[in-house]
Amino acid sequence: MRHLIIGGGIAGTTAAEELRRFDADASIVLLSEEHHRLYSRVLLPHYIKGKVTRERVFLKKPEWYAEQRIEWYPGVMATAIDPKNRFVATSDGREYEYDKLLIATGGEVNTLSANDRDTCYFRTLDDADRLFERLNECPERATIIGGGFIALEFVNIFADRQIPAELHLRGESCFASVLDAGSAELIKQKAEADGIVFVPRSTLERPHGLLGVGIGIVPDLRLLRDAGLDTNKGVLTNEYLETSAVDVYAAGDIAEFFDPIVGRRVQAGNWMSAQTQGRVAAKAMVGERQPFRLVSSYATNCRGMEVVFVGDVNREAAEQIIIFGSLAEGGVMQHFLRGGKLVGATLVNRNHDRAAVTKMIQEQTPYV
Amino acid sequence: MKLTITVDPDLCIGAASCVTIAPETFQLNDENKAVVYDHGTEPGGRVYRRVIEVTTEEKENIILAAQSCPTLAIILTDEAGNQLFPEL
Repeated sequence: MRHLIIGGGIAGTTAAEELRRFDADASIVLLSEEHHRLYSRVLLPHYIKGKVTRERVFLKKPEWYAEQRIEWYPGVMATAIDPKNRFVATSDGREYEYDKLLIATGGEVNTLSANDRDTCYFRTLDDADRLFERLNECPERATIIGGGFIALEFVNIFADRQIPAELHLRGESCFASVLDAGSAELIKQKAEADGIVFVPRSTLERPHGLLGVGIGIVPDLRLLRDAGLDTNKGVLTNEYLETSAVDVYAAGDIAEFFDPIVGRRVQAGNWMSAQTQGRVAAKAMVGERQPFRLVSSYATNCRGMEVVFVGDVNREAAEQIIIFGSLAEGGVMQHFLRGGKLVGATLVNRNHDRAAVTKMIQEQTPYV
Repeated sequence: MKLTITVDPDLCIGAASCVTIAPETFQLNDENKAVVYDHGTEPGGRVYRRVIEVTTEEKENIILAAQSCPTLAIILTDEAGNQLFPEL
């Protein structure tokens, strides 16, 4: 059996590991655009803050791939996928035949049109190395563009180093497509207390100082569309992570999968989901099909304010949103309802509600 | 066998992967940090470190939970004091 995995991040690498566990003799090929062995993107902020060494962000030893007999090709990208003839062409001029193919290529960072050495992104280890280097030059001021999790990482990083910074938002507030005004204001107040100035409805032209950009990611679907796979915002799969092409699977940020818990197709961009999907996809690839069922979450802490998203927090897909708490009370929770059931929740400084809402979403009992 | 389980609250970001995999051993506290339980109970209160008696199967699952942590905030040591995870 020849297993081919495109993408050497947590989804792809977990799948490779799991495949080896199931089948000692299979050929497992892992193509990775990045040159680094598997590392934790979630540890990159800790590395920037000096909480862990750079070496600690790596999750596999250099010899691990050979020990597992995983043929790992760093720095290699797919250039064409042919699901009919079952092969993938790559940037190193080779063609790899497969019996089972897993797409785990993640997402590409949205970039600004103009970039210079002051412009920093924060997705990869190379991005973190660059940011680390620039921070050590002690910039006098900084600008952040974006209003999501990565923008808030920049808030923490600049505030920790006491670099005055402006946060430029396209809309009114951070997480504008998810959070209510009260939740967003709680985050803003904490960040502003630490010297970050929020600029809503920004039409920033010339940023000041070091520029931290966190304006989202988007999966590169061109090859997959050319290959005839069904796509939308990601590559479409069912709950078994099977795509529309036979023997082609998807896992991680790129998968737009049917989530049987919330009853619709969603994408999840978090570590736990990617890792679990890698495992579930590997099982499907060896014929041990089981649905991917996980209530995953996003958690961050912005200047001491805990922000947690659980389940499906898409406002447009919700039929009703109920708000608990308030700005004055210092904590806000939103419940996202659909079909009379809880499908998602956001919690800002409401950690004590997290276990209960996760359980409610998981169990899908009627909402009362 | 006995297993020493330690959570480093400075590294933990509340991703809750350990809670998903081993809820009998890990739960989040109000600071959004994982704390260590002894088979679903918390004698002595919510603590970041505990020595618990585990079966081989339980130990394997706790190792899986520790491996799933994206910040490597869970440290496991065996009775002889050998660090099982993260690998040194």
